[in-house]
Amino acid sequence: MKKTKNNVLAVLGLSSLLSAVAPVHGMGLRSFVALPVEKDGAVVRFEYEHSHDIDTDVLSANVAYGLNATQTLLLGLPYRLSPGGTDQQGDLSLLYRHILWQQDRQSGTSRLGLLGGAIIPTESDRDGAIQAGFVFTDFQDRNEFDVDALYQAGVEDRPASGRYDISWQYRLSPGDWPDWGIPTELNSVLELNGRWQENDGTVHQITAGLQWIHQKWVIEGGFVQDLNATKDWHYLLSTRFHF
Amino acid sequence: MKRSLTLTLLATLAMMTQTVFAKTLEVEVDGMTCAFCVDSLERKLTAMPSVAKVQVSLKANKVRLETDGDTPSVETIKQAILDAGFTPVKVTVISDEKNKE
Repeated sequence: MKKTKNNVLAVLGLSSLLSAVAPVHGMGLRSFVALPVEKDGAVVRFEYEHSHDIDTDVLSANVAYGLNATQTLLLGLPYRLSPGGTDQQGDLSLLYRHILWQQDRQSGTSRLGLLGGAIIPTESDRDGAIQAGFVFTDFQDRNEFDVDALYQAGVEDRPASGRYDISWQYRLSPGDWPDWGIPTELNSVLELNGRWQENDGTVHQITAGLQWIHQKWVIEGGFVQDLNATKDWHYLLSTRFHF
Repeated sequence: MKRSLTLTLLATLAMMTQTVFAKTLEVEVDGMTCAFCVDSLERKLTAMPSVAKVQVSLKANKVRLETDGDTPSVETIKQAILDAGFTPVKVTVISDEKNKE
């Protein structure tokens, strides 16, 4: 019985590790968004996530590099801090994002981008995946909406998986912009997320959090509640730096 | 006394020479949304030669550039804004010390 429980925990932990490749530069807590990384610019993100029921801590490092204003390379590598043992290192996620359509306005912007890439296994006994999806962002005044979906087709024995994120961010502060200068912002974030894996079904989740946005860095955190039968919950803390 | 007067005169002349080429431009930019996003815009514009100061107004959707030498062309400024991922709309010269001379 104990062995079975350990196996279940190991599978859940590994799944969490492998699916923890977080977005790098988006303003959603867990979603990919179409906000640009400028030409030759880079954003580095470190994210810590704790899953309560399976008692797992995962640290993810992510980098986004702007090839130009419409083309971005995204790399993500998760690492399970605890429990220790084998398979702590997750797989490398490589994504290329191309913004197909963009409409800038005085009061905001809308963008649609396509995502394509691969998951490169970091251990010889694991298989990779091909991934593809889309991302849409609409920013209007104090509200930002992001929608993304990503499908990962497993190669050989790796099961297929997928995710979706619907994110709403609202600028709590400042209420009005100053005449000149870039102020620090405080945003609330509310998201509906889904994580699907072949043979395991889909877990829908709700995420609520806050973002403290400085001109050159972001500190953010939130709680994630699973909406399926297990009702697992997680919390995450993250920081991003613009280079 | 004579020497200090000469130095003062030279310093004044040097300051005048610097201000002769000072120029202030305002660029209307669409798509500016948040602090973290517009950092790229400020960086791109600050990195341009002769740009001494860049100010961003999210309220007015404008960027103000102060130059202290050969001002970059309008096309160069617009390209820098496009590279940052935003849409330049209109460039207005607010003050041009060179033309005043």
